[in-house]
Amino acid sequence: MSNTSIEDDSFALVRSSIDMAGVVRDVRAGHDGAIVTFDGFVRNESHGRRTLYLDYEAYEPMALAKMKEIGQLIREKFAIHRLAIVHRLGRLEIGETSVFIAVSAPHRAPAFDACRFAIDTLKRTVPIWKKEYFEDGAVWADGELPPAPPSPPKAAS
Amino acid sequence: VAHVLPNLRVTVLFFGRVRELTGVTEEAVELPVGATLADLFDHYAERFPALRPFRSSLVASRNQEFASWDTLLSENDTIAFLPPVSGG
Repeated sequence: MSNTSIEDDSFALVRSSIDMAGVVRDVRAGHDGAIVTFDGFVRNESHGRRTLYLDYEAYEPMALAKMKEIGQLIREKFAIHRLAIVHRLGRLEIGETSVFIAVSAPHRAPAFDACRFAIDTLKRTVPIWKKEYFEDGAVWADGELPPAPPSPPKAAS
Repeated sequence: VAHVLPNLRVTVLFFGRVRELTGVTEEAVELPVGATLADLFDHYAERFPALRPFRSSLVASRNQEFASWDTLLSENDTIAFLPPVSGG
């Protein structure tokens, strides 16, 4: 079994096109048997309206911290070797990659599971927002409200 | 001598649709010691009445961690008001 930690994983927010081949190269090693990647890119329509482009913004330090938390959860749950999560910000045209995830592992099952977990959790918990631009206006995409933690305990009176 | 409650100073960030609605990206604000995240939201809802209906569709963070509305503020906290997230 490979001996890697969260320190070997890579979490990034970028403002230009994502070097997907480079990300894959960085998670790949001789003792791996599988890499699973997720390439999320800009669709040309939303709810039947033709999309012109998207604009992404993030609470950058918190987004990076939450991406790293996803990595920590993945390392608790799945026997992976390396993980990379890259999200692009700013204006993205149709077909451009907005998020790219690569997971390497000795065996395919944890690589698939971890990759799916990473994108699903990112979409629920990482503070990134997209605005969709159409021919007749723009809207903030419907999103998911991250769950707030329970209230802090009340001081004894 | 009148007793004046001391104030605490926090940095407040808005994102997405509530950034557009308030026109505020980042600013410092002072509130009395003992104020909660809910009090801070109310401060902005008075300044920007259109913000008030958004409370149930916002989550707040304190120092980059999601936090409940009854969380007490501390000096130099960074608070953010976050709409539903839509990355990916």
